[in-house]
Amino acid sequence: MKDIARQSMSIKVESMDLLNGQIKMEAHASATYLAMASWCEQNGFFTSAKFFFKQAEEEREHMMKIFNFLVDTGGNPISPEVTGINHDYSSIVDVFESTLEHEVKVTKSIHNIVKKSRELGDFATEKFLDWFVMEQIEEENTVRDILDMIEVTGTEGVGLQMIDNQVANWID
Amino acid sequence: MNVIFQSTYYTLYQAANERCFYIDFGQKMVRMSLCQLLALRHKVMSIAIEDHFDSDLNAHGFEVLMLCNKEHLFVLNTLEILDLKKLVSNSFVSLGLSVGALETITS
Ligand SMILES: [Fe+2]
Ligand SMILES: [Fe+2]
Repeated sequence: MKDIARQSMSIKVESMDLLNGQIKMEAHASATYLAMASWCEQNGFFTSAKFFFKQAEEEREHMMKIFNFLVDTGGNPISPEVTGINHDYSSIVDVFESTLEHEVKVTKSIHNIVKKSRELGDFATEKFLDWFVMEQIEEENTVRDILDMIEVTGTEGVGLQMIDNQVANWID
Repeated sequence: MNVIFQSTYYTLYQAANERCFYIDFGQKMVRMSLCQLLALRHKVMSIAIEDHFDSDLNAHGFEVLMLCNKEHLFVLNTLEILDLKKLVSNSFVSLGLSVGALETITS
C-alpha cells in the first residue's frame, strides 16, 4: 500500500500541535512587547520603547519561523488568536522583570517540545528547535543583564533616566 | 481503496491511485487531501465536548461542521462528534503520523 500520508507530511501530528501552540506563544510575546513599548512611550522611557518595538518584531520572526517550518513539513499551521495582553505596569523595573519571567516561560515551553519530539522519535522537529534553544539563552541573558544594570544604577533621583539611556546598549 | 480506520458511524479510506482519502459519512462520501484531513482533525479536536453537557454553553448538543473549504456542511450530535474524534485520532495513528499517546490540541 502506497503511503500517501507519510509522503505528504514529514513530522508527527503531535509535534505539529505543540508547534502550533508555540506559534501562539510567540505571537503572544510579540503582542506583549508591543504593549510594553506603548507603556514605555507613555511614561517617558523612549529608549526602552525602542528596545521593545524591536523585541516585538523579533518575536514575530520567531513565530514565522515555526509557521514556515509547518508549511515545509506539510503540516497545518494555524494563525493564532492573541488575547489578554497586559498593558499595566507599576514601573520600568516591573516591565523588565515581567520580560524575564515571560522569556523563562517561553524557554520552558521550547524545552518541553524538544523533550516530546525526542519521545516521539521526531528528529526533524527536534533538530529544528536547536536554533530556538540557543536563541532563548541569548534572550534570557539580555534581560538578565538589563536587570543587573538596573540594580547597579538604582532607581533614585536621575536613576530612572540613566537606566533608560543605558538600555541603548542592548539595541542593535 | 483501502480502509484506514472504521469507527461506529464513519470509515476513512485511502485511494492510492488518486493520492487522496475518502470519508464515508453514511449519507455522503467526502473526498479529501491530507491537508483537508488535517484541517478536519483540527476542527474536530477543537470541539469542547464538555460543552454538550452544559445547557448554557451548548443548549441542543449539536455541532455544525464545515469541511473542505465550505464545500460540505454537517450537523452532528454528541455521539457522532465523539465517534468522529475517535475516527480522526485513530486514523492518524494508522497512517503512521501519530503515536496516539499524547493529546495536545488545546484550542
Ligand atoms: Fe521568541
Ligand atoms: Fe523572546
